[in-house]
Amino acid sequence: MRGRMNAGLLVGGVLVGMVVLAALVSFFWTPHDPTLVDAAGKLREPGDGYLLGADKFGRDTFSQLMVGARTTLYVGIVAVGIAAVVGTPLGMAAGMTPRGWLSELIMRVNDLVFAFPALLLAVMLGAVYGAGTLTAMIAIGVATVPAFARVARAATLQVMVTDYVLAARAAGRRRPAIAFRHVLPNIGSVLIVQASVSFAIAILAEAALSFLGFGTRPPTPSWGRMLQESQELLFSTPRLALWPGLAIALAVLGFNLLGDGLRDFLDPKLRRIRAEG
Amino acid sequence: MRRIGIWIAVGGLLLSTAACGGGDAGTGGDGGAPAAQTLSVGFVAEPANLDFTSTEGVAIPQALLVNVYEGLVKLDQNGEIVPLLAEKWEVSDDRKSYTFTLRKNVTFSSGAPFTADDVVFSLERLKTDWKLKIAAQLDVIDTVEKTDDSTVVVTLERPSNGFLYTLATRLGAMFSRTGVSDLANKPVGTGPYVLGSWRRGDSIELKPNPTYWGTKPSASSVTLKYFKDATAMNNALLTGGIDVISNVQAPESLQQFADPNRFQTIEGTTNGEVVLSMNNGRPPFDDKKVRQAVRHAIDHQALLDTAWAGRGQLIGSMVPPTDPWYEDRTGDYPYDPAKAKELLGGKTYDVKMRIPNLPYAVNSAQVVKSQLAQVGINAEIEPLEFPARWLDAVFTQADYDLSIISHVEPRDMNIFADESYYFRYDNPEFGELLAAADEGTEEEQTELRKQAAKLLSDDAAADFLFLMPNLMVAKKGITGLPKNAISESFDFTGLAKQ
Repeated sequence: MRGRMNAGLLVGGVLVGMVVLAALVSFFWTPHDPTLVDAAGKLREPGDGYLLGADKFGRDTFSQLMVGARTTLYVGIVAVGIAAVVGTPLGMAAGMTPRGWLSELIMRVNDLVFAFPALLLAVMLGAVYGAGTLTAMIAIGVATVPAFARVARAATLQVMVTDYVLAARAAGRRRPAIAFRHVLPNIGSVLIVQASVSFAIAILAEAALSFLGFGTRPPTPSWGRMLQESQELLFSTPRLALWPGLAIALAVLGFNLLGDGLRDFLDPKLRRIRAEG
Repeated sequence: MRRIGIWIAVGGLLLSTAACGGGDAGTGGDGGAPAAQTLSVGFVAEPANLDFTSTEGVAIPQALLVNVYEGLVKLDQNGEIVPLLAEKWEVSDDRKSYTFTLRKNVTFSSGAPFTADDVVFSLERLKTDWKLKIAAQLDVIDTVEKTDDSTVVVTLERPSNGFLYTLATRLGAMFSRTGVSDLANKPVGTGPYVLGSWRRGDSIELKPNPTYWGTKPSASSVTLKYFKDATAMNNALLTGGIDVISNVQAPESLQQFADPNRFQTIEGTTNGEVVLSMNNGRPPFDDKKVRQAVRHAIDHQALLDTAWAGRGQLIGSMVPPTDPWYEDRTGDYPYDPAKAKELLGGKTYDVKMRIPNLPYAVNSAQVVKSQLAQVGINAEIEPLEFPARWLDAVFTQADYDLSIISHVEPRDMNIFADESYYFRYDNPEFGELLAAADEGTEEEQTELRKQAAKLLSDDAAADFLFLMPNLMVAKKGITGLPKNAISESFDFTGLAKQ
């Protein structure tokens, strides 16, 4: 039963685990200094302690990938954190007052933000406050808020009609108490799944922004900027684009699979059906 | 003498999706008549309008000067001043009076004849109608007088070596008395080309001027096509959308064009000194020793090899090799990290490197940062959107410690003489040398300017990373491309396809 259920979870967990491991290890050790320019080692072929070779500045690609994983996770955690912390309470508030003016206000503003492209917001913030990892994280986070709010609202609506909530309301419990005691624990699994999927989107967004020069500042390694710097060498040294591209693809795949796997794993209905079948 | 520098207005890496070739390649056919030649050339910066008397930026004179507008003189490929609309000129003994003999039978594209009256009109407009600060470079002109229809006498307030040279720039362009009503859209000049059409945001087409006085161009149409993105321009050449890349912005990509049966690569020089500016006006770079340490800490050859694929030239001061007073000053501060550390006295510094978000600056900055870190200077890189944000923060407010920018104006050492310029370099001796050079004889000028360049290097007013190469890639069989980009214009006069 568990094996069938966890295929996505397992693969996703391994991929995400690799990214996390690379990021953690990079704090203590990388094969080489990822930002040290070494003209003699320009476009060094893989080998001799340089596992994946070096870029046009003679910087070790593998070390850059490791530190780039750190940047990726950092952006993902902060962006998803912003979205979860802001979006969840808003969605819950809207879900608990389904026909009130508050719900309307929250959801219509939500629609407005949702309609605004995340990358455009990041480019705007970057142009005004200076491009950097921080502005990129905030922009991606703000743009992800509506997704959280919607999911939280939908899940809250379902929870609000359950017997235990009706009982709690009949017993005269106040709304905040209901929200924390009954609603939040029951929509938690949905939020975790949403966080995982949003994380994947945030990784892509950071890579895109760094590629465009509005994300992580040089020389801090970032997968997106590694791609951008390898662009002019695409025909002569394609491996420079291959590795960061692969890293982005696997990390995004990992978080998506993890999200899917978690949804199956955490959904009690699905679990029951499978157990019976 | 004040000058406002103008930079290569390379559009930053914006959200430009690949602009694929529109298929307007030259398809005259190899056996076709030469009259059917259409050529298109890729550029990076599109002009905002076509009036270089009121709008800054090198893109306008790049397209129009020498091609549509002509001056009395022009710069040839070696940097020599040669006759154009003036057949010859004589300089008086006190070197304050220039007598120009004009070429006869020259007409503007509007049909109006070009006469001495137009020369007087054009040079007087500098004071009345030009809105650019650089127009002040010809403030040295005292009077302009017509002697007869083909003779003009220009009298200067003082002898000036820079006068004739400046006449070869856009400031010396000749306008028709009846053709200046709509300069932004309808340029009227005496040049070999006239404006065909302008598709804004895309391209400008130049057509041959049927009444041109000199050798008529062999191309029946030259299109200047504008690309914001270097890769898009590369792809356009690969797929046949354009015939020439006028300035390669991604030198590592040149391998794509290595096939000699299809492409030719042309490398010449420019006036674009890539300068590592140091803010002389505030700590830590107000201390000459710290600035000298920076110059010793940078391995310039390594920087050129990694940041710009080894293309370009090391210069060591603010003078390109095409200027008569060029001297190789790269030996002044050899790469010596130990010496740099010694000059810093064991201290470490945290500084801000605020650079424009242009490829050469972002590449160079990463090398500079890595090398400065070796001697104890920690430079934080901050790319700013170019031009607006960079111009405001660094150039106007001088709120920076280090920056990197290519200064593309010809003979622009003078900018260091202005203590309010963003370098905040303040050494009166330098200004005196340049003033004396402008008034002296040509030999004196060369000698004094050499001294000035040496002083600049000794003082470590800035570090001079490298001279931007003029890198062009063209389809095989394209001839007449200007190898060196040392004037403001991209000269299409001899452009042809075989």
